[in-house]
Amino acid sequence: MTGQAFFVLTALADAPRHGYGIVREVADLSHGRVKLKIGSLYGVLDRLAAEELIEPDREEAHDGRLRRYYRLTRDGRRALAEEAELRAATARVVRSRLGLSGAEAAG
Amino acid sequence: MSNGLDLEQRYRRVLRLLPGYYRRAWEQDMVAAFLEGSLTGDPDEDEWVLEFSKPPWREVASVAGLAVRLYLGGSAAPRRYFAWGQAVRRAVLALTMLQAVRGLEVLLLTAWSRRLFSWLPVPPVRLAAGTPAGIFPPAVWWLVAYAWIVSFVALAFGRYYRTAQVIAALAIVPDLVWLLQGDFTRAFRGPSLGPWAFWVLLNLAPVLAMTAFRRDTPPAARWPWLLALAAAYLLVAVPLTALQTTGHSAWVPDTAGLYCVLAALACLAHVPRAWSRQAAGPGVWSLTLTLLAAEAGAYRVLSLTDYLHDPHQVQVSLAELLILVLAVTLVVPDAIRAQAATHAPPRPHAGYPR
Repeated sequence: MTGQAFFVLTALADAPRHGYGIVREVADLSHGRVKLKIGSLYGVLDRLAAEELIEPDREEAHDGRLRRYYRLTRDGRRALAEEAELRAATARVVRSRLGLSGAEAAG
Repeated sequence: MSNGLDLEQRYRRVLRLLPGYYRRAWEQDMVAAFLEGSLTGDPDEDEWVLEFSKPPWREVASVAGLAVRLYLGGSAAPRRYFAWGQAVRRAVLALTMLQAVRGLEVLLLTAWSRRLFSWLPVPPVRLAAGTPAGIFPPAVWWLVAYAWIVSFVALAFGRYYRTAQVIAALAIVPDLVWLLQGDFTRAFRGPSLGPWAFWVLLNLAPVLAMTAFRRDTPPAARWPWLLALAAAYLLVAVPLTALQTTGHSAWVPDTAGLYCVLAALACLAHVPRAWSRQAAGPGVWSLTLTLLAAEAGAYRVLSLTDYLHDPHQVQVSLAELLILVLAVTLVVPDAIRAQAATHAPPRPHAGYPR
């Protein structure tokens, strides 16, 4: 799973979000390090939808435009959980090899 | 200068880069997300933004990147875009393979000249793997030749695509430096476009087109491609070396001519399959060969400037070009069928809004 896909799935983990909502959430989650461009975002959304990891949730009118919300599917939730576990395990190995405790690593 | 367009219209113009099927599914959503990210909520400022600002180049670049990915489609793409994607990927593999054949040739000639094949006679001096003069030592050129082998194998193994691309990108840098040095020092006589055409069409283009290899694209048929490398070495490099060794260098075509002849032979070999009604597959190989023939033809035409002083060589080059055109004409109808819009719709995603 690419870093962008991981962030997009994470942004949808707690609530359905629309396109720009995902961009904002990913920027927050990554502390501003990942700023998705719209072309990149929809490339990722298209792939995730093709893999049936996300699906449309609803549409809402906002300032005269329709906002389309997306949510995780059951497969998406499972894939995200597996990826998070994999990344956490990798992070544990890195911390261990660097001789860092959890607090030091977080700090 | 608003040109009568507002920001939304300018962004929609950018989105025209995307295939129609994709725009129908995602355009409204993309426009809404883009405008939300561009507007501030301050009515005065937003009015100015809408009227005068343009989509930032990073947004344009992201749409262009998405367009390239969609046009050179992966397994889930509509048939037309999948065919183009497959054809480009196969053409890149074929071009990289020919570079790898050159790498194998350098490797084996070097081994021969170092007497690693003790049962062979001493190689003729003219066969020593020559390297271009310039600022780079011979070792750099040998590394360049070997790098193409590594890049080809990485692509053929269906993994390490970005590694293959980076290695190939590094491999074309010395040639670029050599070309620039040649231009600065006026080493090329007259209007010589051939070396630049080779670099752009057969070095840079395949490296850029390696972008078409992605995780969502089907991997290449590994062993057939690796066998093709060995076969190409035995059937192309060895006979050419033999001709040079036996003093028949006049029969050896120049690089552009060789590419034309190889592309023409490949088209002719493919004709029975392209014309067979029973042939499986949508003619992707015909499209691949058409792309390769276009590359070879363009290279042949541009490199004609190298021979303006040599009417005989111009005639030979035009004959090569004619043979190539006649051969590719035989597979073009099948190639058109492969990439023509079909009624096969894009695979609908689960709950995909239409």
